[in-house]
Amino acid sequence: MNLESGAFLVLAAAAVATALLALLVRELVHTILWIASFFIVLSGLYFLLQANFLGVLQLGVYAGAVTILLLFGVMTTRRRIFSREAATGIGPASIVLGAGIIAVFGILVAGLAGATTGSGPNSYPPALLSQAVFNVYGPWLLLVGFVMLAALGGAIYLVREGRE
Amino acid sequence: MTDPFATAGFLGLSGALLVIGLFGILTRRNFILLLISIEIAINAAVLNFVYFAAYAPSAPIALEGQSAAVVVIALAATEIAVGLAIVLALNRVRGSINVAESSELKL
Repeated sequence: MNLESGAFLVLAAAAVATALLALLVRELVHTILWIASFFIVLSGLYFLLQANFLGVLQLGVYAGAVTILLLFGVMTTRRRIFSREAATGIGPASIVLGAGIIAVFGILVAGLAGATTGSGPNSYPPALLSQAVFNVYGPWLLLVGFVMLAALGGAIYLVREGRE
Repeated sequence: MTDPFATAGFLGLSGALLVIGLFGILTRRNFILLLISIEIAINAAVLNFVYFAAYAPSAPIALEGQSAAVVVIALAATEIAVGLAIVLALNRVRGSINVAESSELKL
């Protein structure tokens, strides 16, 4: 079992576990924390597959924007963030968990940086991807732009003032 | 890593994530949890695109897969924005984001 298989097994187990935990925990805020870690684990899988641009996109769009949007939705629809009195502060369990995750990812990244991948996944530079997105599939990108414009208008229409 | 075990692993992971998303869609009654379940299912599909792009035989096919992944990620973010607008409107009109209570359109 080489390093990539081990990294895949760890990341796959983490992805399934975080997705399940996101749906099974009781507090909605904990759900959003787990789904953020799920997005980060998936971006790790994309980096493992040499899709670096998609990994960065996943980190920026999902782990950044979508998570903040979901948190915003929770904050505006609840009077209190937690449904019960939660312990504040950082306990030893969370410190150990965080240090463990950082250690595992550090070991994986250090190993992947030094590993020579002979028959690994094919790597393509982002310039080629941008040529494909903006030239070959340009019409589709334009269509996505129109869809996003319509979604923007629809979202503003839904939340506008004076509508009961 | 072109061995069949890697392919089976990625397809199995993608299928497992899709099943988890479907489980959430079918069982959760909170609108935000519903949106999160949809996101998990969409990410399972994107993982398939990225995996088969990584082992595509030629560059145009691989870049087609990655372009599709870019489009899907953009559309999923759009869907979250519209979904949260619906959450806010629902919360303003009904005071609750429980989808089981919003039953005006039921037959």
